[in-house]
Amino acid sequence: MSANDINVSYVPTWCAGCGNYGIINALKKAMSSLNLDLEQTVLATGIGCASKISQYVNTYRIETLHGRSLPVATGVKLANHNLTVIAEGGDGDGMGLGMGHFIHTARRNLDITYFIHNNQIYGLTKGQTSPTSDLGSITKFTPAPLGNVEQPINIVKMALNAGATFVARGFVGNSTQLVALMIEAIKHPGFAVVDILQPCVTFNHVNTYPWYQQRVKVIDNMEGYDPTSLEKALSFATLWGDEIPIGLYYRNIRPTFNESLPQLSREPLAKQPLDNIDIAGLMKEFY
Amino acid sequence: MSKRYYTCLFAGEAGYGVMSAGSTIAKGANRNGLWPFVVNEYPSLIQGGLNSCLVRLAEQSIASYEENIDFLGLFSQQGFDCYADKLSSDAIVLYDPATTQVDKSKVPAGALLYPVSLASFIPKGGAKIMINSAMLGGFCALTGYPKHIVIDTIKSEFPNAKVQQENILIVEEVYAHVVSSLPSEKIFPFDFQKSADPKILMNGNEAISIAAIKAGCKFSAGYPMTPGSSVLSYLADHGRNFGLVFKQAEDEIAAINMLIGASYAGVRTIGSTSGGGFALMVEALGFAAIAEVPIVMVNAQRGGPSTGLPTRTAQADLNFVVYASQGEFPRIVVAPGDIEECFYETFRVFNLVDKYQVPCIILTDKYLADSSVSHLPFTTDHLTIDRGKIFEERATREEPYLRYQNTPDGVSERAFPGQIGGRHIATSYTHGEDGFYSSGNKEYAINEPTVVVESMDKLFNKLPSMENDIPGIKLHGPADADLTIIAWGSTKGAILEAIEQATSLGISVNFLQVVYMSPFPTTAIELVLQSAKKTLLIEGNKTAQLGTILTAHTGYKADHSLLKYNSRAFVPSEILAKIKEVFF
Ligand SMILES: Cc1ncc(C[n+]2csc(CCOP(=O)(O)OP(=O)(O)O)c2C)c(N)n1
Ligand code: SF4
Ligand SMILES: [Mg+2]
Repeated sequence: MSANDINVSYVPTWCAGCGNYGIINALKKAMSSLNLDLEQTVLATGIGCASKISQYVNTYRIETLHGRSLPVATGVKLANHNLTVIAEGGDGDGMGLGMGHFIHTARRNLDITYFIHNNQIYGLTKGQTSPTSDLGSITKFTPAPLGNVEQPINIVKMALNAGATFVARGFVGNSTQLVALMIEAIKHPGFAVVDILQPCVTFNHVNTYPWYQQRVKVIDNMEGYDPTSLEKALSFATLWGDEIPIGLYYRNIRPTFNESLPQLSREPLAKQPLDNIDIAGLMKEFY
Repeated sequence: MSKRYYTCLFAGEAGYGVMSAGSTIAKGANRNGLWPFVVNEYPSLIQGGLNSCLVRLAEQSIASYEENIDFLGLFSQQGFDCYADKLSSDAIVLYDPATTQVDKSKVPAGALLYPVSLASFIPKGGAKIMINSAMLGGFCALTGYPKHIVIDTIKSEFPNAKVQQENILIVEEVYAHVVSSLPSEKIFPFDFQKSADPKILMNGNEAISIAAIKAGCKFSAGYPMTPGSSVLSYLADHGRNFGLVFKQAEDEIAAINMLIGASYAGVRTIGSTSGGGFALMVEALGFAAIAEVPIVMVNAQRGGPSTGLPTRTAQADLNFVVYASQGEFPRIVVAPGDIEECFYETFRVFNLVDKYQVPCIILTDKYLADSSVSHLPFTTDHLTIDRGKIFEERATREEPYLRYQNTPDGVSERAFPGQIGGRHIATSYTHGEDGFYSSGNKEYAINEPTVVVESMDKLFNKLPSMENDIPGIKLHGPADADLTIIAWGSTKGAILEAIEQATSLGISVNFLQVVYMSPFPTTAIELVLQSAKKTLLIEGNKTAQLGTILTAHTGYKADHSLLKYNSRAFVPSEILAKIKEVFF
């Protein structure tokens, strides 16, 4: 696979300095170091600044509705389980409208990868509070003086509790680690979630590059780190403040949803022949 | 000679096996030369409430139910209170005096009221549900329905030998008890003959399900909602052997998006729901349309609005299903009128959605979805699969592949993920030929208005050939009839039977059945209406929804209308009464 092959001719419309540039670069690097067959890869995104990533990566892509990347990705994977399926979108997309799908996809342990670009804001709609916005966030929809009064969703904690079998947090400012996490996530057999901290330079003036830079801490070096332990992972997940651990929180192998289906033990559904299906036996049951 | 019918109705609370009693009789009759029509009525409750199972038998093919009850088998007081006024003049009523008081003043003078202490025939410690076998024993004795047919059916339906024997014993005991009290042996009005050509006894949802399997559908997803669910449970159970995967989704939004994902990846898909679930799917319906991903969705209507009447019938989602969208897009909406149309039109729309890359809604209702009717097995030799324009894999090509290439017929080649050379973006945004978003990007900014017009026109360029491909209407009866009935969906059966009766009274009536609601078969309808002398519109809703659509497309207003929205399906007698009213 050539590096050029992954590029499309369109130029991204993200703001200068937007974290999405770092994410798309990391994704391309991860894909090329995995030597992913781009013809056998589907990227399903939602709607938002983050989700526009599907417009700029030359795999098979489906740009779904706001919040619906996961059920679409589910359909793709079940229809053709030989494909590598990646879902991607923003924090609003995934934790707002998409929350139900997120939890259910996690507990199903479907073999797909989910990258969430978490800028703690609704970017594309020009700066409203997101489910991951910190307490007190001042946005168009939660103006001063009160700001956001709702507890933010911690994506890592949510993923762990819902049963995701690969849970990580990356930061776009640590590209080496982010690429490595993406590679591992794509390789993981099961539902793999990477919460990617991504500054929105235009609408989020609190959670900026320096804000994250001062707080992120590579989890691997933290005391008690053990990614095989759900308990440990959950306790690291509670850290969100002066210290924000980044890296692999948890990895576990359990049977995937697609493996549980005998129908998928053969050729993918999409490759099954359709002609001359004999339903005489079905009809006899109604005699 | 006009057709003869015999109608039995069993009624009682849930838990007595009311449906099972009815289905035993219907299956037995179906296997022995008669033509049953079975209507189940039940509330949305797990315990209590009134369940009823009506089995109408005929010697020839049958199209409708009618509430002219010849045999009423009662498991509870409510059953009597509800159905006493629907008894025929010489009806037989079998009841258990322990649970049911019958008020003689409420039944026809010629009716035979027969009390049997049904519960006393259940052996000590036996399950309450076995009371339906006691009912069947009494039913055979009082009506002359052959006991051996009931016993054969019980044998085929209960695989467990012990359960079989217990139930057969109860049938025999009650039969002997009742027969011994009768002056002479009863003779059932119809002959039973083991038929050489077997018939199927099937409901609309089952017909849709097996058609989907026949059409090569390999993926279904859904969320339970009566009366749509039984398509899903049929596919979950029987689909496996055909390699079909059914996925129960977390909600209807997830369900339709899963279908879109699977279809995008190359699989034929079907979902099934009712109005409330369909409401949740509407945004994704437009997604399927603009991304040109074919899907088939069943909306089995129930009473609305909102939660409405979960287990009762209605025809009130027509406007919603035809117009549901933000923005404009073509779709296929088909409203089968009976199980034969459920089967063949479902098979057809699987081909049509692939050919035109549009979403389709199969619009049925509780009455059609859930009522079983006797029918000859469907012949399938002539059915062939057409997947439409599919991209051919190629490693190199001179031209770049354009998923949404503009073509004269509006349809472009679909490439499926995994195909070499077919990479593209499918999107919910309005887009150009390459699938790229038309708005805001500098590549498109200057010519956005042009791209938008082209992309809308592309969708609508499909319409002319879609219209040609769709058997939009059926005209039943003589072209020059004095009265033309206009109707759609499950009212078909009652209308056909009413017309038969009207014809025997010398009234000349025909029936314009609108089968496809979208694209609306305007030309075909106008042709029929040009020579219609007088018209009667019949619909199961309050606001004459087909009437409104008809007027919008043709300017035509029906002369008369018969609208029913009491949660029950039309019966032939009320249609005949209306025919007479407008005719004389
Ligand atoms: C059903 C629906 N509701 C609302 C919108 C408008 N909308 C588009 S993107 C978006 C939020 C984007 O936020 P996020 O998912 O965090 O992505 P970001 O732009 O921040 O990357 C919203 C509300 C929509 N497209 N569809
Ligand atoms: S609004 Fe924010 S997230 Fe969107 S492109 Fe601009 S910087 Fe990036
Ligand atoms: Mg965001």
